[in-house]
Amino acid sequence: MAWPAGLFFIAFFLIPVAVIVVISFGYKPDIFSTYALGNWSFDNYRTAFDPVYAPTLTNTLRVALIGTFICLIIALPFSYWLAVRVNPRWRGLLLGLVLVPFWTNFLVRTIGWQLIISPNGFASDFMQNVGLIDQPLELLYTRGAVQLGVVYNYLPLMILPLFVAFDRLDPAMREASKDLGANRFKTFTQVSLPLAMPGIVAGMLLVFIPLMGDYITAEVLGGAKGNMLGQLVAVWFGSGQNWPVGSATAVLLMALILLTVGVFGALGLILRSILRARRRVEIVVKESA
Amino acid sequence: MTTPEESVRLLAPSSVVEQVSRRAFLAGAGATVVGSSVFLTACGSDETSTGSTSGGADEPLEDQVFMYTWGEYDSPKVLKSFTKEYGPTLQLDSYNSNEQMISKLIAAKGTGGFDLVVPTGPFIPQMVDNDLLEELDLTRLPNFENVDEAYLNQPWDEGNKYSVPKAWGTTGYAYDSSKISKEMSTWQDFLDVATGEASGQVSILDSPDNLCGLYFWANDINWMTTDPAQLDACEDYMVNQMAPHVKRFDSYPGGGGIAEGSYWLSHAWNGDARQGIIDSGGNDWKWVFPGPRTEIWMDNWCIPVGVKNPNAAYAWINYVLDPKVSLAELSYIGYHTAVKGIEPAANEAGLERLDIVFFTPEQVETMESGELNDAQQRRVEISNKTKAAAGA
Amino acid sequence: MTTMESTRAATKSPIVEKRKRRDWTNGLLNVWGVLMYLFLFAPIFVIIAFSFNTGRLLTSWNGFGFEGYEAFFNNPNAQRAVWVSVQAGFMAALIATVLGTMAGIALARRPGKWVGIFLALVAVVLVTPEIVDAVGLLPWYVRLGEDWNLVAFGNGLVRLVISHAIFATAVVALIVRARLAGLDEALEESAADLYAPPFRRFTQITLPLVMPAVLAGALLSFTLSLDNTIISSFVSTPGYTPWPVYVFSSLRSALRPEIASVSTLMFALTLVAIGLVALVLRRGGDSSGDIAKTMTGT
Repeated sequence: MAWPAGLFFIAFFLIPVAVIVVISFGYKPDIFSTYALGNWSFDNYRTAFDPVYAPTLTNTLRVALIGTFICLIIALPFSYWLAVRVNPRWRGLLLGLVLVPFWTNFLVRTIGWQLIISPNGFASDFMQNVGLIDQPLELLYTRGAVQLGVVYNYLPLMILPLFVAFDRLDPAMREASKDLGANRFKTFTQVSLPLAMPGIVAGMLLVFIPLMGDYITAEVLGGAKGNMLGQLVAVWFGSGQNWPVGSATAVLLMALILLTVGVFGALGLILRSILRARRRVEIVVKESA
Repeated sequence: MTTPEESVRLLAPSSVVEQVSRRAFLAGAGATVVGSSVFLTACGSDETSTGSTSGGADEPLEDQVFMYTWGEYDSPKVLKSFTKEYGPTLQLDSYNSNEQMISKLIAAKGTGGFDLVVPTGPFIPQMVDNDLLEELDLTRLPNFENVDEAYLNQPWDEGNKYSVPKAWGTTGYAYDSSKISKEMSTWQDFLDVATGEASGQVSILDSPDNLCGLYFWANDINWMTTDPAQLDACEDYMVNQMAPHVKRFDSYPGGGGIAEGSYWLSHAWNGDARQGIIDSGGNDWKWVFPGPRTEIWMDNWCIPVGVKNPNAAYAWINYVLDPKVSLAELSYIGYHTAVKGIEPAANEAGLERLDIVFFTPEQVETMESGELNDAQQRRVEISNKTKAAAGA
Repeated sequence: MTTMESTRAATKSPIVEKRKRRDWTNGLLNVWGVLMYLFLFAPIFVIIAFSFNTGRLLTSWNGFGFEGYEAFFNNPNAQRAVWVSVQAGFMAALIATVLGTMAGIALARRPGKWVGIFLALVAVVLVTPEIVDAVGLLPWYVRLGEDWNLVAFGNGLVRLVISHAIFATAVVALIVRARLAGLDEALEESAADLYAPPFRRFTQITLPLVMPAVLAGALLSFTLSLDNTIISSFVSTPGYTPWPVYVFSSLRSALRPEIASVSTLMFALTLVAIGLVALVLRRGGDSSGDIAKTMTGT
């Protein structure tokens, strides 16, 4: 039953990805052709790894990590509130309301932010009137603008898994914790949060991975300084018309994502085992004499 | 029952056609169209094309024309009125660089599906060598005589075998005089202010040739130089001195950035700068036609090999060369359309800031055209490195 | 009675205290919730507001008017872009719904080793950055269309539909699976016990049970297809420019108010469509919580 979908994925997802890898070893024959196979070499990777592009790489990583972190911090209280504190009658509606912006065009939403944070835009006028700043707002076309944009665009992807995780929490667990004397903070950090951990991890992955490849937000809001790896790939394929180097850069992007996820995953597992070791409750069976 | 073709054939020798005044001709063509469509419906035919004719060609026009062109380069009103008068609907797709357009044509191997492309002059010889362009039959373009001779026979297409001028312009810059105290008039001024007063508020054209041109022109060097020492000096300057001060690589600051207040100093093409200046309101923004040298670029109508709707394509080119239509185009895109008498017509129509559209012969003397030469790849490299350095 | 009173007295204060403490944090969380909604909707409001801009450029406000909307009705290219998007959306939603529903049902009802692998594949499809998909699909389509002469792949609409359907199928599969997994298999088993043949079981029991999820999936697929920008901008061919690609090209030259106008119109349409689906689901007996959960595949 699942075969049609499976074949579909293989034909139009796995194979294209494989195609990228293959082309990355090819070459660009002349100024107007895009690629050719043959002449197999690592030359394209050498170009992709050129230190000139290093700032783009580090910038992408930085924006993605900070962005994921900010999404987490913002979404945590919100999802908790929505899943646990809000009146159940309104829960569905409010959740749907979260998704509504998500259903509008990604690009148009980002352009909306361009309108808001531009030096002659609302945010700027407001902040100047209120006295927060005395010059027009210098946010658009900076790295900060890209940071803001990606947090906004990927926030729903963090809110949803967190919501599901908190929603699945058994209220009895929290009550039991309170009955045993833990204050609210302790309950949250030692009961709710650990139980919601799978949702948190899912959220972080759902945000971090696409964010690394983000292209539109950087294109609309970033300037010269807000360069992301996704843009670089697009440039190689677009105006650069050099598909082999573009493919190599795309492979580089995928590798970077896997590497980062792997590193953080490993760190997470190590952290978890340390915490578990420290919290191990020893059950000593007293032998009655 | 006569066939629809017979009822609309307008057989006239080309000499007669040229003599007939344009308005009368268009009115006549219009009447023919109306008459023929009435006739057609009366006949109960279910022909899909309106079968109207244009300028001496006596074949019916196809239903559509696929145009591959630059963004925002044709007035929507003109597009619509062409469809209303002649029938074919125009479908536009846009590209951002000549390289992109050419690669798409090559990749499609003559089956691209485009009927019209708009390359910038210097790219035409290579396109011809790669068998990408059809030779033009100028007898199908009676309005070709409206083109100002000064813009014909360019070095990259002597005799206009493959191209008809669409628009030409130059490169300069605009600055916000309320933010920048210096009076600017040369490229050196641009470099000084960009790395000084206006640091971090500068936009530069996202085009390798123009990016390198900033340095070369400021130093009175031909921007198409192939001298390795000069190219190295350019790279050194752009990457090490200029890059850190650039806010954005933006080819259309007039399309938003200037009016938004995002820049103090913008490297720009004249028509685009004009739009930004007009939209920003007030008198703060000033346009500079810088010295000692600058560019002249010309975009041209060409018909690619593999064209599917040639009659309609010729009809469109002919339509746009009509002075009235040309003026409508100019008022939208803000560039000189190379048609005779366009300058007085624009002045009469009272369009704004025409000083940024029309130039004096002395100014035109200082303009040099681009070329597709050996330094091209090097310039692309310099551009990539500058952009990467700017992101650091 | 005294014992009851005393117990009540004993238990009263903790409850009251609990409520007081709750209010304090509740207040903070409520404020945070409101702020979040403002944040989420800010650009939407701005776009709707600027759709009434009479200026030539989207970014500079020039006064209130309907020129943006007028400009759209006079712009055949923008209209065609919207039409292409809608067509592609329908077809992609169709393919994604069919393939995804089948996959989802299989995932929920036919356990086995393959489930893990398939889910992993679905997960990878969902999280891979669009740019990677885009740069892979383009050469692949070119090869299929030109080198292997499968002419269909040269057609822009075909390319768009396939590209959009990939992500959408993954989404639908997850949604349907989640919905079915939450339902008791007993219903289908009892149908089997009552001698219903497999096909009838499927059409008369399973399918109606997952219908809400299927509907939600179809709607989501349509919306995702409308939204798809990056892949579309890479693989589109002349004459088949979808709406987001049109906006993207405008971004590179000059943004005009009509873009905001069209976006507002499409936003309104999406709201209406979702409202309809919610209504249908409500009628079918789902609570709003269930609907929301279905839409998010949980």
